Amino acid sequence: MAHAERHPLGATLALALVGLVFVPLLPGLLWAMGPSLSASVWQALLTDPQFAQALLATLVSSLFGTLLACLMAAGLATRLYPSPAWQRLQQRLPLLLSVPHAAFAVGLFFLIAPSGWLARATGYFLSWASPPEWVTVQDPYGLSLALALAFKESWFLLWVLAGVLGEQAVARQMAVARSLGYSAAQTWRLVLWPQVAPRLGWPVAAAFAYSLSVVDMALILGPGNPPTLAVLTWHWLSDPDARLQTQGGAASMVLLALFSVSAALAYSGWRAWVQRRAYPTGQRLPAVQRPWPWQAPVLGVGYAALGALVVWSVAQSWFFPALWPDAVTWDNWRYADAAPFWTTLWLALAVSLLCLPVVLIWLEWGPKQLNAVLYAPLILPALPLVAAQYAVLLHLRLDASLLALVWSHLLWVLPYMLLTLVGAYRAFDARLMTSARALGCSQLQACLRVKWPLLLRPLLLAWAVGFAVSVAQYLPTLFAGGGRFATVTTEAVALSAGGSRQVLAVQALLQVLLPLAAFALAFSLVRLRSRNRQGLR
Amino acid sequence: MKFSNAKTALSAIAFSLVLAAPTSAKALDWPQIEAQAKGQTVYFNAWGGGEAINAYIAWAAKEVQARYGVTVQHVKITDAAEVVKRVQTEMAAGRTTDGSVDLMWVNGENFRNLKSNGLLYGPWAEALPSWGLVDLKKPVRSDFSVPTEGFEAPWGTAQLTFIANKAVTPVPPRSAAELLTFAKANPGRVSYPKPPDFHGTTFLKQLLLNLTPAPALLQQPVTPQAFASATPALWAYLDQLHPSLWRAGIAFPASAAAMHRMLADGELKMSLTFNPNEAANLIASRQLPSSAYSFGWTQGTIGNVHFVAIPANARAKAGAQVFANFLLSAPAQAHKADTRVWGDGSVLDVSKLPPDLQALMRNKAPGALTESVPTLAEPHASWVEALETEWLKRYGAR
Repeated sequence: MAHAERHPLGATLALALVGLVFVPLLPGLLWAMGPSLSASVWQALLTDPQFAQALLATLVSSLFGTLLACLMAAGLATRLYPSPAWQRLQQRLPLLLSVPHAAFAVGLFFLIAPSGWLARATGYFLSWASPPEWVTVQDPYGLSLALALAFKESWFLLWVLAGVLGEQAVARQMAVARSLGYSAAQTWRLVLWPQVAPRLGWPVAAAFAYSLSVVDMALILGPGNPPTLAVLTWHWLSDPDARLQTQGGAASMVLLALFSVSAALAYSGWRAWVQRRAYPTGQRLPAVQRPWPWQAPVLGVGYAALGALVVWSVAQSWFFPALWPDAVTWDNWRYADAAPFWTTLWLALAVSLLCLPVVLIWLEWGPKQLNAVLYAPLILPALPLVAAQYAVLLHLRLDASLLALVWSHLLWVLPYMLLTLVGAYRAFDARLMTSARALGCSQLQACLRVKWPLLLRPLLLAWAVGFAVSVAQYLPTLFAGGGRFATVTTEAVALSAGGSRQVLAVQALLQVLLPLAAFALAFSLVRLRSRNRQGLR
Repeated sequence: MKFSNAKTALSAIAFSLVLAAPTSAKALDWPQIEAQAKGQTVYFNAWGGGEAINAYIAWAAKEVQARYGVTVQHVKITDAAEVVKRVQTEMAAGRTTDGSVDLMWVNGENFRNLKSNGLLYGPWAEALPSWGLVDLKKPVRSDFSVPTEGFEAPWGTAQLTFIANKAVTPVPPRSAAELLTFAKANPGRVSYPKPPDFHGTTFLKQLLLNLTPAPALLQQPVTPQAFASATPALWAYLDQLHPSLWRAGIAFPASAAAMHRMLADGELKMSLTFNPNEAANLIASRQLPSSAYSFGWTQGTIGNVHFVAIPANARAKAGAQVFANFLLSAPAQAHKADTRVWGDGSVLDVSKLPPDLQALMRNKAPGALTESVPTLAEPHASWVEALETEWLKRYGAR
């Protein structure tokens, strides 16, 4: 706040820019959700034959998925950090992170479906003629969806952890504790987790909120009869029947309530644990043997899913029980529809490049207490927000325009970029800025010459994350774009419901290639810039 | 030069004013519509889940661009009900002239919904120059028993067709009773798309037509009494069928397209489609093995006509009519009927066409429906929602 007082101009600019993204949502929410605030709507919702089971599938897939993701990420970090294996893991993450949710779901489907690779491999030895009656995808409780979410979110959490652990202060603490004779596992428990866990709070909340309201992945892997609550809500919100639309509004409020209750429970659980935590005894425990390499399955699933996509994308005909396609062809790529690729590219570029300066201005001059408001889109179910955006755009007669599409993406890209950058930004050594100011730089000059160049690595990473988030957007693209703009994501989800698996694999891979290129660009720029500066890497 | 440009602009404004004025309901003559359409962009909202169909629409778009200077953008949608919702929301928000949908692919329940809510522009369809070639013996003036009254132009015909694989199913079931026996003999290998999926609902209607003691009731708007006397046979049948279905009838495939894939892998033994030539297309694009074939039911299967309609708030109404007229023209209909292209049945009177186009329409590819299957009329559009609601209530949750 001290900054904001000294720089009313910067603060005003920050508020105005962010306000453009957020403020129109308020009347939008009123227009979109207002009609749902009636007892009869809620009665219809609660007595709907699909509601209870849809709710159960949503709870199972989101809670189980998030929990498993946390366990996998935390387990891997505890085992591997600090070690060369952790460095290698970190290097492998960008590839998996750039796999959008929908593409990963499609790849996983190709792996574990009854006619997938796993069944084909099993059938190869048991000479099956037709696929087994496995319920490995679209199971009634959403377990396959949970599994997919767990893997996908565990990479995200590992990557957040990598950022936190990469900070100099954390590395030094580990070194100090180890030199005092504590084992790595003990250091983690006594020193690192108490500091690192609170910083994982927002990312875990975001992962949980995402799994609550995910539609694209749930369409591919989730149950169908009934679907998850998010999919059901989406169907209702886009139903021509006004009664069902209001029911959809009410259902999206249920999603919001689910999030709030779960988050409150998790937070109070954490507080209770912190208060009851035993004081360290000073006893040194011997280091345990390094166990079985956990990272193999956690990362391996991602590679296998990508592998399945690649093979399908060059397959000619490939029916069960064949382990490999009958013939390989480039035709699927040659005749692929390239329009969604270009649309996605310019859209993601426009959105991420617009967001970068906004995030910087906000972090430098914006009121810090309001960060929580900016994170709201990450922890609110996407559906009511998308409906609110659409209501606003309709009133402004901007729906189905380029501007609308870019604006709708900002709401999710901005907070993700902020979330990615905020840790490194706050951890920036303030003495460097003080020195710069003391040498006569204005705050803007100090930022331009000292702070932002030094933060190049997190900045570029934030940009790449923003790019990837925009690529993966499904609901805003459909609603705000008026269905007129086909991106690789909408294309992949549409194709996943039917149609050629070869064409689907190509679109899903294009969906992977775009963010991958962004991450590759970010990393090579960092490397280029820091080739002579060890500390910047 | 500048002067005449300004003049053109002025007359264009005058034209649009004439069009916009509600009192001048008299339609413009065709050359005027063509002139007005030039340079317009038509957003054609049509189901985008079939590659053959998408390729055909892209071809038609290129043709009207070259012939009439009309740009057509295919907005690929997954369900026409979403477009109905869009038009409805736009109109409710007061956007009565500048809508985002110019032309949409529609029939049945969605058409009834649009028409009864006054969300359609028209009548225009029977004033199209191509209308003269339309085969009026086909149900082109009534859509699921709802009179079209010129508010939509016919585009193609469809008939419910089943697909199986000769290698595993040499003798297919050809009635509801045979299907039940077949399902019991092949537990877990038969299913149908989950209603309210279009194909799933059609399958329910097919069963209903085959099983109901009172088929005449289905041609009238649904009433609670009619529903109570016509449908018990259907629910009794489904109660018997479901335990033998894929996943014991607890879950259902999402769409017919998903069922084609499951048929290709042998996970299911039957699939279904509304296009008698779809199996041929799928074999050609290597999505079904070459041993796949099409068949119908002995007593006939549901057939219908699908249409294109212009929403009341469409921006490019002239362009939409020009495109609809092209879609209905002899060359476009013949190209569409070609199994190598799409294989969708024509709505034109084939005998009125030139011989070379007639030959194109008789082309059959391997896998397509070769037997002659009687066509059953669609039940009245109002039955769709009643059947879907009851199905969801009975089977929509475990």
